[in-house]
Amino acid sequence: MIDLFPPFLLFVAGAALLPFIPNGHPRALAAASVPVISVYLIWMMPEGMHGQFTLVGQELTLLRVDKLSTIFGLIFSLAAFLGLIFAWYVRDTIQQTMSLLYAGTAIGAVFAGDLISLFIFWEGTAIASVFLIWARRTEGAYWTGMRYLIVQVGSGVILLAGMVLQYNETGSMAFEAMTLGSPATWAIFIAFGVKCAFPLLHNWMPDAYPAATVTGTVILSVFTTKLAIYALARGFAGTEILIYIGATMAIFPVFYAVIENDLRRVLTYSLNQQLGFMVVGIGVGTELALNGTIAHAFASILYQALLFMSIGAVLFRTGTAKASELGGLYKTMPLTMVFCVIGAASISSFPLFSGFVSKSLILSASMQEGYYIVWGILLFASAGAFIHSGIKVPFFAFFAQDSGLRPKEAPWNMLLAMGLTASLCIAIGVYPYPLYALLPYDVDYVPYTTTHVVTQLQLLFFYMLAFVVLMKTGIYPPELKSVNLDFDWTYRKLGPAIIRSVRSLIQAVWGALIGASLRGLNFGVATLERAHGTEGPLARAWPTGSMVLWIAVLLGGVLLLNYM
Amino acid sequence: MSTEMKTPETDPAKLPWLGRKLLWLDNMKNVDRIIYALFVLCAGLIAADFMYSKKSYLAIEDIPGFYAAYGFFMSAALIIFARVMRVFLKRDETYYSPKDVESEAYPEDQLSRETIND
Repeated sequence: MIDLFPPFLLFVAGAALLPFIPNGHPRALAAASVPVISVYLIWMMPEGMHGQFTLVGQELTLLRVDKLSTIFGLIFSLAAFLGLIFAWYVRDTIQQTMSLLYAGTAIGAVFAGDLISLFIFWEGTAIASVFLIWARRTEGAYWTGMRYLIVQVGSGVILLAGMVLQYNETGSMAFEAMTLGSPATWAIFIAFGVKCAFPLLHNWMPDAYPAATVTGTVILSVFTTKLAIYALARGFAGTEILIYIGATMAIFPVFYAVIENDLRRVLTYSLNQQLGFMVVGIGVGTELALNGTIAHAFASILYQALLFMSIGAVLFRTGTAKASELGGLYKTMPLTMVFCVIGAASISSFPLFSGFVSKSLILSASMQEGYYIVWGILLFASAGAFIHSGIKVPFFAFFAQDSGLRPKEAPWNMLLAMGLTASLCIAIGVYPYPLYALLPYDVDYVPYTTTHVVTQLQLLFFYMLAFVVLMKTGIYPPELKSVNLDFDWTYRKLGPAIIRSVRSLIQAVWGALIGASLRGLNFGVATLERAHGTEGPLARAWPTGSMVLWIAVLLGGVLLLNYM
Repeated sequence: MSTEMKTPETDPAKLPWLGRKLLWLDNMKNVDRIIYALFVLCAGLIAADFMYSKKSYLAIEDIPGFYAAYGFFMSAALIIFARVMRVFLKRDETYYSPKDVESEAYPEDQLSRETIND
């Protein structure tokens, strides 16, 4: 029985009604009000299982309300609101409706209490989100969207396989904590891992996110990956392998981010890297670590969206987001620059900004549990975050050498969205306790201790010093127009090349075989022709005399044999 | 950082208020001042290590300036490693085209290119 109004229905209804509202301010207002109502609905929902009903013999739970699902529902709604303000002037009906549907399916997924509902919403996010890439309406975006869709739907198919196996084994479709071991749990784990952009499964993200529209990338950056973080936290908390996967994720994208030219792709690599911190937290699995993961997901949704918004605004005004083409925009887009720097300070974990109060929970938890090497790696990864997102993005967009571009400041709606997001980043950093209160476990953690502040400032200022020294000595790699090969090379170049060469090999062998048999056949026909053809010796008309002679010879032979 | 690139003359009157205030960054001397300030801050932060009792888990954390050294060398190492990596991984922008947005122009109809002179 449905006893509560599920928030996802609100988004679906909003998306269905949106095309009938006059395009312009009324429609933008209607779209932005959906997540506001959703925040209210989620806030008012009592904890427990709601919206349960039976469908073809399966017990479905649309709303599992607990602290874990609620905080994700809230941040998803909040981020959807900010994203829609940022997209206020988008007049493309497809983008408007799909943004709402995408947010709605993601929110539906975090409240799903069983694997069937989870699967439906899981695929829903895949299908709704691809339109934000296709909305760019270029050939490149079409192909990129196709690749994205194949991977995303593929993740759903693996999830479906896992569900079926799980049902066979346990007879239950409940989505609860699992232990990795059976093929079923592995399949579900890998399905989550694809959306979470585990190393080597990550390529869809740096491929697709920078290909979306100005506003589409902001929306995309919020949901899919954080939904996967939620699913892993729900299903696989304390699974040790996640610690090592997360640690790899936290460093692997860093190097790419340093040499990448497209600033939206730099930010995508940094998003991938931030997910690594969260995955480590889930793997450690203690209360402190899980609190850290969720706090970090909350904070990173905001600062990552802020960074994507600021570079999106630059793209909107200049037509490019490439570091090699940008620079010196601080004079003409100073507010966008300030918001970008706030996002940069947050991702770098500067004291008084949001990253400082969320990431440190994960680092402390890994230290407390004795994962010293992982802690060292995460510290290294933090240096990476600072170098590529803390310095590189704002520096090459707004400072560095003057590009000669004199764009106007971003429009009011973009400034408003960035301003609100930036204020939240600072508010969380300055006073994290309301955020801590939303976390699933009690927080016994004080971020602002002398040791933490001083050591963090030492790290940050010496990262900066290293950047300045390398910049001044010319060692820092210049921004070049280029693409860098990543693992997707294997399926975009190597795979097709292998298929092409296998195809030509088969063609050659087939051709040779056919040729040889044809030649054989020709030879046979020619031999027959020679023997039995019109001029063939066997086709000649023989004189009767020679026949009689040969019969006499045969007869003689037979007689001889008889007498012997 | 080279400043040879030709730039259109900018009329400060057309800049937003905050942009005008930030014009002092145009002066390279001021940029150098920021860098000196960074040196002073870094030195101060190392000195700060001697002024309080660190709450630490690992013995290595107690070495004064451990975080400073770790921060400096790790970021330097990662930048240099990335630069070496690029030698092997760099390809032309058109490498994946036309099945990639990398070498495409962003569609003009979705932009609002306005300059301060408009």
